[in-house]
Amino acid sequence: MMTITSVVVLVAVFALLSMVVLAKRQTTSAKALENPSRHMRPVDVEAFRNLIDPAEEEFLRRNLQPTEFRRIQRKRLLAAAEYVSGAAHNAAVLLRLAEAARHSTQPATVQAAERLIADALRLRLYALHVVPRLYIAAALPGGSFRPTLAAEKYELIVRQVVMLGLQYPTQQVTTSL
Amino acid sequence: MRAAGSPVYIYPAAHMHYGSHPFVYYLWYYLWIAPHVFQIAVMWVMVRRRLHRQFPLFFIYTVAEVFQAAALVSISARLGFGTTYQQVFAGFLAVSTAARFGVIIEILNHVLKRYPAVDSTGRSFIRLSTVVLLAGAVLLAVVMPQTNSDFLLRATYSLDRSVTILQCGLLIALFIFSRYFSLSWSSLDFGLALGLGVFASVELATSAVWLHLGKFGNTSVNLFSMGVYHCCVLIWLFYVLKPEKISQNVPEQIPNHDLEVWNQELQRLVRL
Repeated sequence: MMTITSVVVLVAVFALLSMVVLAKRQTTSAKALENPSRHMRPVDVEAFRNLIDPAEEEFLRRNLQPTEFRRIQRKRLLAAAEYVSGAAHNAAVLLRLAEAARHSTQPATVQAAERLIADALRLRLYALHVVPRLYIAAALPGGSFRPTLAAEKYELIVRQVVMLGLQYPTQQVTTSL
Repeated sequence: MRAAGSPVYIYPAAHMHYGSHPFVYYLWYYLWIAPHVFQIAVMWVMVRRRLHRQFPLFFIYTVAEVFQAAALVSISARLGFGTTYQQVFAGFLAVSTAARFGVIIEILNHVLKRYPAVDSTGRSFIRLSTVVLLAGAVLLAVVMPQTNSDFLLRATYSLDRSVTILQCGLLIALFIFSRYFSLSWSSLDFGLALGLGVFASVELATSAVWLHLGKFGNTSVNLFSMGVYHCCVLIWLFYVLKPEKISQNVPEQIPNHDLEVWNQELQRLVRL
């Protein structure tokens, strides 16, 4: 009885603290707007393309010992997961910018901000699907990674990651604010 | 979570225990009545600022809380804290519980309305969370021994604890979902969720302590719980009064073409 009571009380305290922390982050994340470029992570586009290139994977599979291939493929997949996470992070920063732009007095800016928000959210949603799969694939690097992903989403996330790496205009963000 | 802010039990016990401390007497009644007076202020501000149209369920919840407090105070004054009080209390608890679920759904709708891209994902996530939390609540109800012989109070508190787990968990799920997608909340949505969340988590702890003590209405626990509810009402009042803050960095200065370029590139990628 005492144990269950203690567990429930601990869960309640944890819940309370979680809410306070999440609520605090909710308010502080708005500060990211003040200097967005500082919050952006660099995404090495060419390296990422190489990491998820099926031809490259096949080449490595053919030319390396299975043990060596698995070791290298694991590292490649973990690196790819890092890139996707970085792109998702950048999407969150762009989202904050667009969120502020919603309050613009210019309807065109507001409309563009709405579209940017929708697209950035989709990227984060795809990242939510892709990153765990990349980690699972990294844990089992012997198999082919590609079939584990829905092809359409895979292509989309690749393109989005590449574009965020290429297009997020750190300088432009800085100068425009 | 008791019919919010109202003591389950009951002044005479406190009076006997703290008979030589009139401070406790006044504190007890203050914590019972004052939150509902502040809730009248919340209602008034909501009507004046037309917020009752944006948050109809929270408005109904507030009205119901004020009404239940008035009813319970008058019943206790005329008939004491006996069976009638407990039955009315249980009835109001059901209304209060349903209204609070309504408020959580209302907050969810408000947040997701601004982000159609994740609307279905958000609803699926909340549905899944509800199923998991419900399973947890049922499991806890089975595992946790019942020590009170009064069926009404026992059933009331089992239900109360299960509902508190659900509400607490749903609010955390909502915060986590918003956090991952970097969703912005209006300050009132945020304030309502924060108040409800704080109250639900404290009620979860106090309901467990009550069960452990083997009797309901432990004076100290009751006072603590009522005090927390008082704080939550003040949080709501603060956020109802607080004007919606617009970021200082509204990018009126951001060249339109910059935003359009980012957006066009992202859109092109989505459609490719």
